Amino acid sequence: MFKKRLTLKVVLFLVFTDILETFTQFCFKKGALSQSGFDIKIFSDIFNFLSGVFSSWFLWLGLLSVVLTFIIWSTILSKIDLSVAIPIASFSYILIPLISIIFLHEKISVLRWSGILFILIGVIFVSLSSEERQDSLE
Amino acid sequence: MKEGLTFIFFLIVLTSICDTINQLFLKSAINSLSLASPITIIKIIKFIIALIRVPRVWISFLFSVLSLCIWLFVLSKVDLNFAFSIDSMHYIFIAFASKQILKEKVSFKRWLGTISIIIGIILVSLS
Repeated sequence: MFKKRLTLKVVLFLVFTDILETFTQFCFKKGALSQSGFDIKIFSDIFNFLSGVFSSWFLWLGLLSVVLTFIIWSTILSKIDLSVAIPIASFSYILIPLISIIFLHEKISVLRWSGILFILIGVIFVSLSSEERQDSLE
Repeated sequence: MKEGLTFIFFLIVLTSICDTINQLFLKSAINSLSLASPITIIKIIKFIIALIRVPRVWISFLFSVLSLCIWLFVLSKVDLNFAFSIDSMHYIFIAFASKQILKEKVSFKRWLGTISIIIGIILVSLS
């Protein structure tokens, strides 16, 4: 199957989606932070919360980034299998904590880093093993 | 903070479920289309237009909006790196969902990966 070919161009696109994904989450976090004191008690609070968050331009920047990620990701998925794309895309599990430390001044303990490492290994294993299903799908 | 954290954890599970449904519909919609080999900008635009016309993409879109709204609330309460790590739970859901819906066999490697993600989530939650 030619679909499984992983070219340098595809890898570059995947790395780019990693960076975009990280950027998206950073923007969302920034947007959500403006409403951090909010507590949802009654149903209408949901709308108040959302209107507050959506008035932040960080959120719109994040959404723009989501659309861009979606376009690139859809294109990649039509070229290669999910099982090949995800291990490279899961690089954002490292990028996001790094961005959190540098730009959001969050603290990450050794215990949490080891947790992240387990998740990363797990994500790679889960997606690698899905290669076996390709024949039954086509 | 403690009981609040349980609620946040529940919300992250909810976004993960929404993400899983979203991904399943999206992948199924994309599978129904094809993109010929040399990728050009024009082809990508045509592909996206064709994709938007598939009704399943709209279901996928609906769930991603839902997921986004819950996600934003989660982010307003907890650290980004914490939330994003826990959100990796959707890999577990996707593995189970594709087993149920696509009738795949769950290989040893996938179980191993799933267990590793669960250990990771527990470690991140403990910290």
